[in-house]
Amino acid sequence: MDRSVELERLRSLFLNAPESDATRALMVIGSLVLIAIVLWLVRRRALCEEHTPIWIAISVGLAIVSLVPGMLGTITRWIGAWTMASTLFFLGEVCLVALCLSFAVRHSRTSSDLRQLGQEVAVLRATLDALEREHLD
Amino acid sequence: MSDSASETGAANPSARGLVIMPARNEATRIGDVIDGVSRALPGARVLVIDDDSQDETVDVARAAGALVAPLPIHLGYGGALQTGYHFAVRRNCAWLIQMDSDGQHRPEDLPALLSPVLDGRCDLAIGSRFAPREDETPDYEMDAVRSLGRRSLALLGRIGGVYVTDPTSGLQAMNAAALELFTSSWYPVDYPDIDVLLLAHRRGLRLCEVPVTMRPSPRPSMLHSGWMPVYYAYRMFLSLWALSAIPRSGGGRERDSRGG
Repeated sequence: MDRSVELERLRSLFLNAPESDATRALMVIGSLVLIAIVLWLVRRRALCEEHTPIWIAISVGLAIVSLVPGMLGTITRWIGAWTMASTLFFLGEVCLVALCLSFAVRHSRTSSDLRQLGQEVAVLRATLDALEREHLD
Repeated sequence: MSDSASETGAANPSARGLVIMPARNEATRIGDVIDGVSRALPGARVLVIDDDSQDETVDVARAAGALVAPLPIHLGYGGALQTGYHFAVRRNCAWLIQMDSDGQHRPEDLPALLSPVLDGRCDLAIGSRFAPREDETPDYEMDAVRSLGRRSLALLGRIGGVYVTDPTSGLQAMNAAALELFTSSWYPVDYPDIDVLLLAHRRGLRLCEVPVTMRPSPRPSMLHSGWMPVYYAYRMFLSLWALSAIPRSGGGRERDSRGG
């Protein structure tokens, strides 16, 4: 028998494996807990509202994937993976990279704001210095 | 104070101007530099931007008669320079000179550096160790590493249309048009070097070089420390890449800017 045909059969075996109810329940619970934590943090003012969209998007996405039957399998076939577990890992990694990048952008903006604030403080103190001297002269 | 400025010759400023010096832990040298500026440009205001020094720089500068802008956080050379530009814009200064506070730049060169800016011959004058001069040949000695760095930056400038012999010179004079540009968000605060000159050229400012003499810097160049040259080159290329996103300025200045 041809070796590549064997591999194809092996992959379809993986893909047609019945979805475990325990995994599905874990995913649903996980996504709901994540949404709850995000909302709780916003309520506690520990998380700014402008930072929430990406977290809400990730947890809602996880909920949809876990609730719609066959969706994870379809995505797995579509991206060419063998198992649903690797699809989950892949999607998780994509989310992490997106999060890190968005943090880097926000951090850059904060650094720039901080620099402008520092410069403004120095300029004001120099102005005060100049005014005091003119007044004393 | 400003009245005495007008009676001391053509190269001296009658309009409101400012000499800025970014400083970090320069208490031992900055006093003499400020005294030198007061002698070379009588009546000129000196602003020392203290980049979070740990020594007596602020007190020494105040005692020497300079205004001091103390930064509450360490911003580095570019951030400190831009603080000076902001102050000058706020005070409606017509011209500004920037120089180092470590004694590398000679106050005696300031009037010659400022005169093309005051005469309206250029918007940004760069004090150059290597520009050809009539009376004497350039005598500044650079070691191989620095020389290579200078040549590479000059080459980068030439590709962008800026012809300068001393692209890393921190001794510069400028008018209000340059100050307006350098206080914008386009100013590269990380390592202002040839990218500043290219930015100025791109936005239609006229550059020129003035031959000056410099003493060797008392501090080791950062181009000598380990991986810094590689990182520096990387930052410079990134900065130049970012520059290409800035729109070119048309306007009447463009035709004059080629000669520099």
